[in-house]
Amino acid sequence: MNKLIKLNYSLYIGIICVSILLFLCIFGPMMASHSLTETLETQYTDGKVISPPMEPFETVDYPLGTDKWGYDLLSMILHGIRYTVFIALAITLIKMIVGTVLGLYIGQWKRTPGWMVAFENAWSYVPLFLILYFFMRPINFNSQLETSTLLGYFIVIASIISIPSIVSSVRLKTVELNKSVYIEAAKTLGASNNRLIWRHIFPQLKETILVMFILEIVYVITIMGQLALVNIFVGGTLRRFDPLIYLSVTKELSGLVGQARLNIYGNTHILIVPLIVLLFTTISFSLLANGLKNRFQSNYARTPWIRIGQVPRMKPVRKKFGEKRKLWPPRGESIAILALFLVFIGAGTYVYLTKDSDVGVKNYSKAAYDIHLAMDENGLFDTEATIQVKNKSEDDWDELVFYFIPNVFTEGHSFDSVKGNATVKVKEIEVDGEKADYSLKKDTLKIALADNMKGKSKHTVKVAYEFTPPEQGVRFSKEKDNYYLAQWYPMLATYQNGKWNKEDYSDGIETYHVGFSDYKVTYKLPEGYSFISSAEKDPKPEANEGSVKIKKIRDFFIAVTKDMDIHEATANDGVKIRLFTKIDHDKNIDESLKLAKDALSFYQEKIGAYPHKQLDIILDNGLFMEYPGIVTINPYIQDSNFYRLSIVHEIAHQYFYGVVANDQYNEGWVDEGITEFATSLYFYIAENQWEGQAFATPKYRMEWIREAGLGRQYSNVPVHELKDTGYIYGQPAVELLKMMKSKYQLNGDDVKEVSMQFLSDYYHHFMYKEVDTSEFIRFTKDYFLVPSGYFNGWLNK
Amino acid sequence: MLRIIQQIIIIFLLILSLAALPMIIEVNTAENKLEWNIEKLPKIYGSFISEVSKGSLGSYQLGTQVRDIEQDIGDNFFTSLKVMLIGVNASIAISLLFGIFLSRFRLTKIFNFFINILAAIPDFIIIIMSMILAVKIYRWTGIRVISLRPDAGALNTWFPTLLVAIAPTLYLFKLIAVKYFQTSSEDYIRTAVAKGMSLNYINFQHVYKNIEPFITAELVKVISLAIGNLFIIEYILNVSGITKFIFQSNEIQPIAIGLFSMLLISAIVYVSVRLVFYLFKRGFIYE
Repeated sequence: MNKLIKLNYSLYIGIICVSILLFLCIFGPMMASHSLTETLETQYTDGKVISPPMEPFETVDYPLGTDKWGYDLLSMILHGIRYTVFIALAITLIKMIVGTVLGLYIGQWKRTPGWMVAFENAWSYVPLFLILYFFMRPINFNSQLETSTLLGYFIVIASIISIPSIVSSVRLKTVELNKSVYIEAAKTLGASNNRLIWRHIFPQLKETILVMFILEIVYVITIMGQLALVNIFVGGTLRRFDPLIYLSVTKELSGLVGQARLNIYGNTHILIVPLIVLLFTTISFSLLANGLKNRFQSNYARTPWIRIGQVPRMKPVRKKFGEKRKLWPPRGESIAILALFLVFIGAGTYVYLTKDSDVGVKNYSKAAYDIHLAMDENGLFDTEATIQVKNKSEDDWDELVFYFIPNVFTEGHSFDSVKGNATVKVKEIEVDGEKADYSLKKDTLKIALADNMKGKSKHTVKVAYEFTPPEQGVRFSKEKDNYYLAQWYPMLATYQNGKWNKEDYSDGIETYHVGFSDYKVTYKLPEGYSFISSAEKDPKPEANEGSVKIKKIRDFFIAVTKDMDIHEATANDGVKIRLFTKIDHDKNIDESLKLAKDALSFYQEKIGAYPHKQLDIILDNGLFMEYPGIVTINPYIQDSNFYRLSIVHEIAHQYFYGVVANDQYNEGWVDEGITEFATSLYFYIAENQWEGQAFATPKYRMEWIREAGLGRQYSNVPVHELKDTGYIYGQPAVELLKMMKSKYQLNGDDVKEVSMQFLSDYYHHFMYKEVDTSEFIRFTKDYFLVPSGYFNGWLNK
Repeated sequence: MLRIIQQIIIIFLLILSLAALPMIIEVNTAENKLEWNIEKLPKIYGSFISEVSKGSLGSYQLGTQVRDIEQDIGDNFFTSLKVMLIGVNASIAISLLFGIFLSRFRLTKIFNFFINILAAIPDFIIIIMSMILAVKIYRWTGIRVISLRPDAGALNTWFPTLLVAIAPTLYLFKLIAVKYFQTSSEDYIRTAVAKGMSLNYINFQHVYKNIEPFITAELVKVISLAIGNLFIIEYILNVSGITKFIFQSNEIQPIAIGLFSMLLISAIVYVSVRLVFYLFKRGFIYE
C-alpha cells in the first residue's frame, strides 16, 4: 500500500496522455470521419428530424455532435489538434534553445550589464499576449496572407518575445551555479569557458530546463487561448458580417474555443467539447512537467525539520555511481516505455492502413482464381477453375453465387446479336474437396454449401467444365480463327448489404458486377495460336503453353488469336501499348496506335498512373469493349469518328472501370458517364477541339432522347429500367460539364484544368474502391461545396 | 536608482512602440506581403506628443462617436484599479495564509487539493468555465450571479475581481509552498525547533522573514499575471475598465494612454502590497 502511494502518478499519467496527444496530432486527420467542409444536412429519418447543431453522443456519425452549421466537432478537433500542439512545440523549441544558450553564456559574464537587467524587468511587466495581440491584429482578420505565412509570423514573433524571460531565468541559475566550489575548482584547473558551460553548468541545469520546456508548452497554449478569446486565432481569423462571427481557419483548438465563445448561453456543447480537449492537452503537459519535477525533486530534496503541509512522498530514482545500465532484459519502467512505444506504432499502423476504409461501397465476398485452360483443335476449351472464396461478412452463407455467363449463349438463347451457340458442360463441382450440389440457371450458378461449411469463412471451390464460345457472339465469341473469352469462368458475385448482389444477364450494357481479385491462369493451346490476356506479361506470340498471373483486377480477359499483326508503341512511364490487327479493314493502323498512345499518355499525365504495365488493343469484329489491361475495338465500322472516340473511351475505362469500380447493373452510369466525360475532355483539352465538338457525342445522345420523346430519367437506374443508354452515357457527361462550368472558380482558373483535377482527385480517392451514387455525391458535393440537392436534376438519391 | 530610471524609460519606449504597432503593420494586398511602415512612426509620435503637450489626453472613437479620453478615463481607471487592488492583495493574503501559517492543518490539505487542480488548468479556461457555470446557475436557480452590464455595479465587478485573483493566487501559492518546504529543512529551523519554540513562532519569525524577499521579488511577475488576465476578463465580462481603450481602437492615443494607465495601476498595486508587508512586519515581526 505504501508503495502505491509513493508511485509518481502524475509522471506516468502525463506520459500516457502526452503520447495520446502526439498520436492524435500525427494520425488525427486520418481518423477524422468527415472532412472540414462536409456538413450535416437537415434530414428526416425514422420519424425524427435530424438537424444541426447535434448534441454529442446522439448519433454514431457525429459522436461529439456538430456546431450550428453542421460541421462535425470531432473531425474539426482531429484536424486542428496538430496545429495547437505542433505550434506550441515549435515556439517552445525555438525560445528554449535560443534562450538557454544566451542565458548560459551571459551568465558567465563577470557582470551583467545594467540595461539588460532593466530590459528583462521591463519586459516582464508586459503581458506577452498583448504584444502578440497588437502584432497580429492588423494582419489576422480575413487575411490576404497564406495560412502558413501567418503561422510562420506567429511562431517567430511568439518565440522572440518570450526569449527574454527564458534568458533571464537561465542566466540567474547560471550565475548561482558559478558561485559553487566545483566551478571554482574547474576554473583553477584551467577549464575554458565553453567547457565550464557545457560540462559543468549545463548538466546541472538540464533537468530544470526539461521541466521548464514542458511548462513553457503549456504557457504557449495559454497565450494562444488568451488570443483566441479576443478573436485572434492562430493561422487566421475569418470575419463574417451579419451576424458578426469569427471563424478559425486552421480549426486549431483554442480557435475552436474562441469561435464558440458566445455559446455560453446555449448549445454549450459547441464550446465545451473543444474546451475539454484543450484542457486535456494542457493538463497532459502539466502532469508530465509535474511528474518530472517530482522525480527530480525527490532525488535532491532534504527532509524538513518542522511539520508542513506539502511534503512530496516520491521514492527517489537515482543512478548509482559506477553502476552499468543494463538495457536487456528490460525491467520496470523500461518495460512500460517499450509497451507504450509498441502500442503507439501498432495503433498508428492500424489507423494508417484503415484510413480509407470508410471510402466506397463494401463488398463482403472475395475470390482468388487459379484456372487451368486447355484448348483443342476444334476450339473446345477444357477448364478447371479453383476458386478461393472468402466470406468477409458477419453472416453465415448457405450458398455461393457465381456469374456463369457462357451458359446464357447455349442453344436456344434469345439474343439476336449472338449468331452462333455456345456449348457448356459442367463436369463436376467440389467445395472444400467434397462434391457439391449446384444449380445453373441462365447465368446464375448457385453452389449449395453443406451444413458443416456454413459457418466457415473460407472455401475452396473447384469447377471443372468444358465450353465452346458462340460464333460472332458478344464479348464471349469466336470470330473466324480468333477466340475472345470474356467472362468465361465462374465469377463470384458480390455480397453486399447482407445478400448476394446478382442480377440476370441481359443484352447490351454490362450486367455483371464483381470485386477485385487475384488471378493465375495456366493455358495450353494448339500450335499456331497466340495468347493475349489481361495479365501484365503475356508470353511471346506463338508460345502456346504457359501460365500468367495478375493481382487485383476486376475480370480476366483472354484472346486466343491466329495470324494477327502486332504494332507497338510506348506511352509514359514505359507502359507498352500493343495493337493486334488484321489488314482487311480501312482504318489507318499507325494513326490508331498514335491516338491510343496520345490518349493514354494524356490520362497518365492528367489523371494518374496507369494501373498496369501494358495495354493491349485488339482490332477485330465485335463489340467495343474494355477489360483490365486490354480493349477490343471494331475496325470494320464505317463511322471513323466513332472509331476514334471509342479508342479513347475504352482507354479511359482502364481508370473508371478498371480501378474505380461500380455496380454496373444498378449504377452503370458511374463508369460509363465518367468515362464519357473523360473521353470528351481528351478531345477538348489534348486535341483542343471547341466545346461543342468535343462534347458532341454526349450532347447528341441527349438530343436523340429529346427527339424520341423519352422524357426525363435519372442516370442511376438499374439496367432493366433504363429507357435509353443516353441516360447513363450522355447525361452524366453533360451534367458534369455544366457543373464544372459553373463551379470551377472555387478550385482553379480554368474549366479544363479543374475538370481534369477533379477526375484525378476522384480517381485517387476511389482507387480500388467501389463507387455508387451516394459515394459520388458525397465526394463531389464536398469537392465543389454544393448541397446534395445540386444533383437532383439527374441523380436520384 | 539608475536601474529604476532605466527600467522606466524602457517601459515607456516599449509602450509607445506597442501602441504604434497596429498603425505600422499592414498587409500589402497587391503583393500579399506583410509591410512595416516604419516611415509613419515620426508622424504618429509627433501627433501623440503634440496632443499630450497641449495638456489633453486626446480623443478616441466609440462606434461613430468621437469622445474625449479625459472625460471617460476617470471611471474606467477606478474600476480597473479597484479590481486589481482587491484582487492582488487578496491573492497574496490567501496564499500566505494557506501556504505558511495554516499549512500544517488537515483542512488546508483540501484547499491544497483544489488549488493543485486549478493550477493545472490555464487561466483562460477557468475564466470560460466559470462563466458557463454562472450561466448555468442562473438557469437552475434564477439567481443572477454575475451581470455583463457595465452599469450593474457590484454584480458586474465582484466576479472579475475573483477571476483576477485566481491566477496570482495559484502562482504565489505554489511558489510559497516550495519555498516553505525548502526553508523548513534549513539548519536554523532545526535550531529553532531544538530550542523548543512553537510552530507559530517559527513560522512568523523565521520562515516568513526568509520567504518574504522571494515574494517581493516575484511581485512584479504576480502583478503582470493579474494585468494579463485583467485584459481578458474585462473584455469578456464587459467590464468598462481601462482595457476598453486598448481593445476598441486602432489609434495610438487611446492605446498608449490605456497602457500608461495600466502601468500606473500596476505601480499603485505594487506600492500597496509593499505597504501591507511593511505594516505586517511592523505589527507581528521583531526586527
